[in-house]
Amino acid sequence: MLEIQNLTKIYDGGTVALRNVSMKVEDGEFLVIIGLSGSGKSTLLRCINRLIEPTEGRIIIDGVDVTELSGEELRKTRRRIGMIFQQFNLVRRSSVLTNVLSGRLGYVSPWRSAVGRFPKKDMEKALGALRQVGILDQAYKRADELSGGQQQRVGIARALMQDPTLILADEPVASLDPATSHSILRYLEELNREKGVTVLCSLHFLSLARAYATRMIALKDGEVVFEGSPAEIDDARFKEIYGEDAIQVEIR
Amino acid sequence: MSAEEERRQEIPGRRRGLFSSWLLILGIVVAVLVYAFAWQITEIDLEKLVTGAPDMVHIVKQLLQPDLLTRDKEYQLAYGDFRVPCGTAFPQQPAASESEPYMVLSHLCGEPGEPLGVEGFNFRPNTKGILRWIPPVGTKRSLKRIDTDSEGHFALGIAVPDVPASEELQEIEVELKWDVGLPYPSETTRIVLSKMVQTIMLALMATTVGVFVAVPLSFLAARNLMSKYRSTMIVYFLIRGVFNIVRSIEPYIWAIIFAVWVGIGPFAGVLALGMHSIAALGKLYSEQVESIDPGPIEAIQATGANALQTVIYAVVPQIVPPYIAFTIYRWDINVRMSTVIGFVGGGGIGFILIQWVNLLRYKQAGVAVWAIVIVVWTMDVVSSWVREKVV
Repeated sequence: MLEIQNLTKIYDGGTVALRNVSMKVEDGEFLVIIGLSGSGKSTLLRCINRLIEPTEGRIIIDGVDVTELSGEELRKTRRRIGMIFQQFNLVRRSSVLTNVLSGRLGYVSPWRSAVGRFPKKDMEKALGALRQVGILDQAYKRADELSGGQQQRVGIARALMQDPTLILADEPVASLDPATSHSILRYLEELNREKGVTVLCSLHFLSLARAYATRMIALKDGEVVFEGSPAEIDDARFKEIYGEDAIQVEIR
Repeated sequence: MSAEEERRQEIPGRRRGLFSSWLLILGIVVAVLVYAFAWQITEIDLEKLVTGAPDMVHIVKQLLQPDLLTRDKEYQLAYGDFRVPCGTAFPQQPAASESEPYMVLSHLCGEPGEPLGVEGFNFRPNTKGILRWIPPVGTKRSLKRIDTDSEGHFALGIAVPDVPASEELQEIEVELKWDVGLPYPSETTRIVLSKMVQTIMLALMATTVGVFVAVPLSFLAARNLMSKYRSTMIVYFLIRGVFNIVRSIEPYIWAIIFAVWVGIGPFAGVLALGMHSIAALGKLYSEQVESIDPGPIEAIQATGANALQTVIYAVVPQIVPPYIAFTIYRWDINVRMSTVIGFVGGGGIGFILIQWVNLLRYKQAGVAVWAIVIVVWTMDVVSSWVREKVV
């Protein structure tokens, strides 16, 4: 279980990205975070695995306060949290396989991995992960030779290598076309349903959020303005979250 | 006066328009004067382009006949004596022989300027040679070219050269020269080859010096890594400043400096090009570090990787291929520069080339020029091919 208590993040320039955010995420949930650009979605997700240092507040995962961790302990926690990015964040010049294997870095011996050697078991696991996301035939290509949708699948395969109990997905489909968006989100849904991985996913489109979320949270100016089931978001709620002038755009 | 005209007169810009046209005329006058002065001071003389052309054609012809290959030579010599002026004693007519080459002179003494017939027998048939006059004092003079016929005979007329009168005998020498055996690389070719190897190795050492110093410095000269603290920013500006100063000084100047410091030779060339490479590579490398994509770093950190793993898996793949590409490109440039760094004392092929040019030995210089063309062209092709593969 993930519990966030009174989380605040103020950037160096004085920008308040998160303001006293508290929430609970049960194991096995598919929690979608919606909100405008700059509402704090990315900051919230990055605070959970400490890619961004919170200014105040506590983040408790399975009884461990992540904000207190450092060094080896922090890395041990991070390796069970997969992360998927809007821009995929692959190493473009490395092969697809190397990118997937890098998901294992938290587990393997640093010295072996330093010279690029992974245990055979991890190699097999990587090929298995690629098979699972349907791009096994691309394993030895350079990452930047793949299409956007394929690159995001590499991103998912990399997260799978971590044997994650939690996946943080930061706008995973914002750079993709609608059809590809659905196929990517379906992989996350599958992980969530079949392996019981908790998913925290930020999305732009309400229609996508409605299709996949078991629960939703809306952020506005760094504060939680809505928490509930997808069905509860009606027109009034929508305008509250996105502003008076917003119009719903559907992605089917 | 219509309202339209009135308004136009009120516009203050009209006066300024007149003023600015004066300025324009003044500007043109100044420009003409400057160009006239420049024309004079740079001693531009278009006529020389025409009058000097024959010399140029001569040099280009020589350059196009490089002294690449050579063959062993064999010689045939014969001598005759002559006296200037005629006195009491006569020299002997050279002895005739059945098989040995010998010459016969039309007469055996005379005044300078008098015609003299020379005939040769038993020489090597169909061979070229030269007739020389050897006075008792002073230098040998080449007087006439010789072509023997199919019987090994020649006959030609010369004028007795303007030599001082002497009691001692003047000597007339006939020398035939011809090639034997297979052609083999000339002395020049061997010198050029060894100097070319030196040049390429010079470029290699200079590039290596550049890489070893520039790689660590490039991180200290990358703004994104150094902008965190004031103290690191000072280091950043310091190194950037040094890079810019060193880079703005041409390698030729560095070569002159180092030639004074460590003496003329390839070591001075290594230091000069190395110095320039440090600055040039340092700048390119650091710009590469600055343009690194933070996304993969974030992603690798998120997997629980430690700092070393993050560098190896997220930073190194992003900078190594461009580093290799820049390095090869630099080596390419260094080879090109090292061919001429010798002009100013930096050793290598340029050193020998400038010597040959100064000695007017253009056939030898031609070999060096061709070697430079081939090596530079090859390096260019190879380096662009490798760069395409790497990046």
